[in-house]
Amino acid sequence: MAQQLAIIVLVDIGNALETNTLEGNTYLFDNMKLHGSEGQGTGDLVTAIHGAYWRDGSQATEQVLNWLPYSLGSIPPTVPRSYQSDRARQSDEQALAELEAVTAKAGAPGADPTPELDHIRQVAGRRVKTTRRTRGRLSGQKVLDVTGQVVTEATAAYSYPGPVITDIYGQAVDEKIMYPAEYGSPDLVTDGWYWSATVDSSRPGTYAYTMRIQLHKLVQRGGETLWEPVNLTCESKLLITSEPKRNGFTGAGLGWLPIAPQAAQPQTAQPQTAQPQTAQPQTPQPQTPQSAAPQPGAPQFPQSAGQPQAPATPHS
Amino acid sequence: MPPKPKRDNGPAKRPISITAVVDCVGALATGSVHGNLYLYDTNKAGGSTGLGTEELRTRVRRGDQILWSVLALECEAYTAIDGILIDPEVCEPVRKVYPGTDVAYWIGTIKTDAVQHVPYQIKFRLGSRDEPIVSTLSPSLVG
Repeated sequence: MAQQLAIIVLVDIGNALETNTLEGNTYLFDNMKLHGSEGQGTGDLVTAIHGAYWRDGSQATEQVLNWLPYSLGSIPPTVPRSYQSDRARQSDEQALAELEAVTAKAGAPGADPTPELDHIRQVAGRRVKTTRRTRGRLSGQKVLDVTGQVVTEATAAYSYPGPVITDIYGQAVDEKIMYPAEYGSPDLVTDGWYWSATVDSSRPGTYAYTMRIQLHKLVQRGGETLWEPVNLTCESKLLITSEPKRNGFTGAGLGWLPIAPQAAQPQTAQPQTAQPQTAQPQTPQPQTPQSAAPQPGAPQFPQSAGQPQAPATPHS
Repeated sequence: MPPKPKRDNGPAKRPISITAVVDCVGALATGSVHGNLYLYDTNKAGGSTGLGTEELRTRVRRGDQILWSVLALECEAYTAIDGILIDPEVCEPVRKVYPGTDVAYWIGTIKTDAVQHVPYQIKFRLGSRDEPIVSTLSPSLVG
């Protein structure tokens, strides 16, 4: 299975909308810090992507990138996927129940329902009009504040919807280093849609790419409340290196993959003394049909089962 | 037909959100959040500094609501705030949950005008570790 690498795009949406730019308002992270990624938590992340080759240089798997856009200062992405819709439905149900109670008392002499009706108005909150551009995940929702309560007043602080990546393009795509696309899945965190890319790690170097990100701000038009989309862009970089896959789980010691049979076999008989570092150089057994004939352009690595030196990885 | 006039509803007075981004795997491996914690707030325009570091300095004023939440780098990893250790004369954060969920946040109000530099610490619950991990370097509230 391909290795899954994640890039988190954390956006300060309030500031980004205020200044109309993502520069200085976007913070990027990935889970390759130990592989050499730099600029974690800043807008200048350089994501290190190791190659995915066996130690004979043949293709093992592909590296797969996933982007997760989050909003700074909004309702966190860890609430259930249907949270916005659930809160809208709950507020409707509460408002209807209270309205029913008010109706039951309406016939009583001297009853003034005004305070109850004001409360019902607050409970009902404000529903955002669905437009052609906000149909889907933003449709039928109510405005919530950052604590998850429905918002009634036009001036109340509201929680911004999460940022949406709408495109990934630029040098890394133009030069066919990565092949990004948007996919649908039952992912509970990202609302079912996410951007993912496979990476060609046979051409080491540093490659820039651009994300187009859609934010939404709440506006009132013609007496209706709606989310106005705002499209902005931000850049990041990939640092591709060409290295064989490493083993770290079998108890045979840290080394390149696949583990040579002669190195792994003693582990079965004498698990306490198996040391791949001491194994004699030998020719690895092909694991895949491609192993016998390395791909053109694929990096070549030492054939021993010891600790080979990775080739120098030129960076542009 | 000319477009209808539109009105932006913001900015309104909203809580200052402080988000702790935790590299849960790194913190569990080292037993410390030092080097595995990135703090941000939503008041950069108001003068907060140190965003993305463990020593975030959040600019606050009396009456400001401060909301702390946590975000894990690995979305499968359990990460939660277990407490905010801060001078109660300045702010007394309490734990609340988003209605209908068990997702928690901590919220408190600045009680005094005399906020100069008030350091605090955050206790985290990470993974299946029994004991909480307390932030090593101190973020602070500044006036």
